Amino acid sequence: MRRVIPTVAVMALMAVFGFAIYSMLGTLKSNRHNSQKPTQTKALIDLPGTIYVVQDGSIYSLTNLTFTELKAPSYDWVQVAPGPDGDILAVAYSSMYSNVYLLSPQGQIVRQLLSESSTQYFNNHWAYYPRVSPNGSTLFYASDWVDPDSAYNVDFQIQAVPFSNTATYPVIWSESGLYYQGGDVEPIPLANGALIYTKYDISDQPNTPQQGDTYGQLAYVSTPGAVPTLLTTPAEDCGEPALSPNGTEIAMVCTQNTAQTTTLDVASWNGTSLGTLVPIASGPLPASPTWSPNGKSVLYLNTLLTDKSSPFQLWWVPKATSKKPGTPEQVTAGVNFTATSAPIWTA
Amino acid sequence: MLVAALLVFGFGLSGVGGVVAYFLPAITAALNITGHATQGGTGKHPVATPSTSPVTSSSQPITVLLLGSDNDTKFEADAVLTQTMILVRINPQTKSVVMFSIPRDLWVEIGDTQSYAKIDAAYSDGGAAEAITTVQNNFHVAINYWVWIGLGGLVHVVNDLHGVNIVAQMPILDDEYPYDLSGNNPYEQARVAILPGPQRVAGVAALEYVRSRHGDVLSDIARSQKQQQLLLDIKASANDVGLADVPNIASSLGDSMKTDMSVTQVTSLLPLAKALGNGDVHQVVMVGEPYFGSDYYPEGVGGPDALQPNWSAIHGLVAQYFPTA
Repeated sequence: MRRVIPTVAVMALMAVFGFAIYSMLGTLKSNRHNSQKPTQTKALIDLPGTIYVVQDGSIYSLTNLTFTELKAPSYDWVQVAPGPDGDILAVAYSSMYSNVYLLSPQGQIVRQLLSESSTQYFNNHWAYYPRVSPNGSTLFYASDWVDPDSAYNVDFQIQAVPFSNTATYPVIWSESGLYYQGGDVEPIPLANGALIYTKYDISDQPNTPQQGDTYGQLAYVSTPGAVPTLLTTPAEDCGEPALSPNGTEIAMVCTQNTAQTTTLDVASWNGTSLGTLVPIASGPLPASPTWSPNGKSVLYLNTLLTDKSSPFQLWWVPKATSKKPGTPEQVTAGVNFTATSAPIWTA
Repeated sequence: MLVAALLVFGFGLSGVGGVVAYFLPAITAALNITGHATQGGTGKHPVATPSTSPVTSSSQPITVLLLGSDNDTKFEADAVLTQTMILVRINPQTKSVVMFSIPRDLWVEIGDTQSYAKIDAAYSDGGAAEAITTVQNNFHVAINYWVWIGLGGLVHVVNDLHGVNIVAQMPILDDEYPYDLSGNNPYEQARVAILPGPQRVAGVAALEYVRSRHGDVLSDIARSQKQQQLLLDIKASANDVGLADVPNIASSLGDSMKTDMSVTQVTSLLPLAKALGNGDVHQVVMVGEPYFGSDYYPEGVGGPDALQPNWSAIHGLVAQYFPTA
C-alpha cells in the first residue's frame, strides 16, 4: 500500500504531463492571421473627425482612437458611403441579393432605399456602390443586368434613381459591354451632373495587356447612356476611384496588370481629363481609398507591408508636398476590415 | 537509480504520447493522402498500370499533374470530372516553378482508347492513370507525379489559413453557379457576386472565385487564370503555417486530396515551396488563337462547347516550358 499510492500519483503526473505536451502544441498554432473585433483594439494614430469602416458584416466608427460598433440591425453590412445630412448609405447583402439602406450615424435605419429581393430566382438583384449626387437629388449605384437571351451573361451597370423616390424605374447611365466583361461599377456623381465610374473589359488584343487579360478603366460620361471617355489605359488597370473634396484630384487603385499587387495612385482632374498617375502608396495590396475631409491626405486599406497574406488594416498617407514625400502610416493593427468597402471620413 | 531511470522513461513516454496524439490526425491524413497507386477509377476504362515517369535524382526537375474536381454527389466517388488540370514543373536547381493550365474543354483522344472527348473526362473515365496517359500522349510531356484535390478540401484549407487575399480582376457575377457542396440537391444553383479589387476571402468565396465561369467571356480559360492566382495566394498564406498547424489542415483535407507521391517526397518539396517568391513562378494559360480554333464550337466536334486544339502551337509552347533534355 505504501508503494501503490506514490506509484499511482506518479502515473497520474505522467498522464498530466502527456496531456500538457498535447495542449502546449495546440498553443503553438500560427495565429498571425487571427483578427479581433475593432472594438477590442485601439487605433495606432489619432486622426481627426470620425471614420466608418466595415468588418465581418458590421459597421464601426472610429473617433479619438476608439472604435464603436454601430447599432445597426443584424444584416451583413458592406460598402458604407456618405449620405445626406451626416447619415450613412450602406449595403445589406444576403446570398441572393443586396439592398441599400440609409442609416443614422448610430446605425438605425432611416429608410430602405433599394429593395432587390424577389421570390422569383432570376428577379433577385445586386445593388452595390451606392453614392448620392453632390446636390443630394440622385442615388447612383451598380446593379446587375441579365441578358434576356443568355442567363449566363450578367454584368454590372450604373443605374440612378431620384433620392426622394428610389422606387421609380432607374435611369441606365452606363450600359456595360453586355458581353461577360463584368461591367461597370463604382460610380462617382460629379457636381456638373456628369459621372465617373470604373469600366471593366477583357482584352481581345495580343499585345499589352495580354489577350484575355481583364482590366478596369476609369470612364467619364456626361449624360446617361453616352459613349464613355476612358480616362486611364488598359495597361494601368485602375479602379476604386475617390474624388478629392475640392474635385481636383482622383485617388485610385491600379494593378499595372499584375494580378498579385496594387498601387495607390493620385492624378489631377480638370473636369474632363486626368493628369499623370502618381503612386502615393506601393504594395502589397492598397485598396478602397477615401480622402480626408480637408483633402490633404488619403485613408485606405492595405495588408501589412511585410506580409501580403495578412488581413487588411487601415492606412493613412499624407499627400506629398514639394518639401516632403508622403509616407504611409498604419492606423490599425489586429483587425480584418472588408477591403471592398471604402471607409467614410467625416470632419 | 532505477527509480530515477523509470521516472525519466515514464515521463518521456507520456510526452511522446502527447506529441503522437497531437499529430495523429496529420499522420493518418498523410498516410491516406500520399502513396496512392496510379490506377484507374470506376469509369469505362480503368487502368491498372502505373504510367508516371520515375524520378532518378533529387536535382531533377519534376512535373506534377494537378487535378481538381467537384467531389459532390453528382458523380460516383473516383469517377468525377476534373475541372482543373494544371501541369506544374518544379525545378530544384533553378528554384523555379511553371504552372501550365490545360483547358477542361479541350477535345482530345482519351488515353489510348482512340475515342475522343473533352479532356476533363479522362479522370472520370479511367482515374489518374488515364488522366496522365491522356495528358502525356496529347501534350508530349512526361509526368512524374499526380495530385488530386476535391474542391471541398480547398474550402477547408482556405478557412484553416484564416482566409487568403486575392485581387479580383473584374466583377464576377454568376446567376447559375453550382450550389452543390451543401444541401441535398447537387443540381441546385446559387447567385454569386464577387466585387473587383483586393480583398480577403474565406473558403467558400475562394472556391466561388476560381470556380465561377459563366460571367466571363473567356469562361474556363479565365477560370484557369484565377486558379493559378489562387494557388499562389494560398502559398503566400501557407508560408505562415507552422508545424503545430499541420494536424488541423491535414484533417481538413481528409478525403479531398490524393497523390502518388510519398510522404518523404512531399516533405522534400516543402522547403522549395516556402522559398519561392512570385517572381520564381511562371504562369502559363493558353488563350485563343493560335492554340485553339477561333472559338468554342457550339455543337462541337462531336461534343458541345468543345475547344478544338491546334497541336503544333500547343506543342511549341509545351516544349518551351517542359524541355525534355
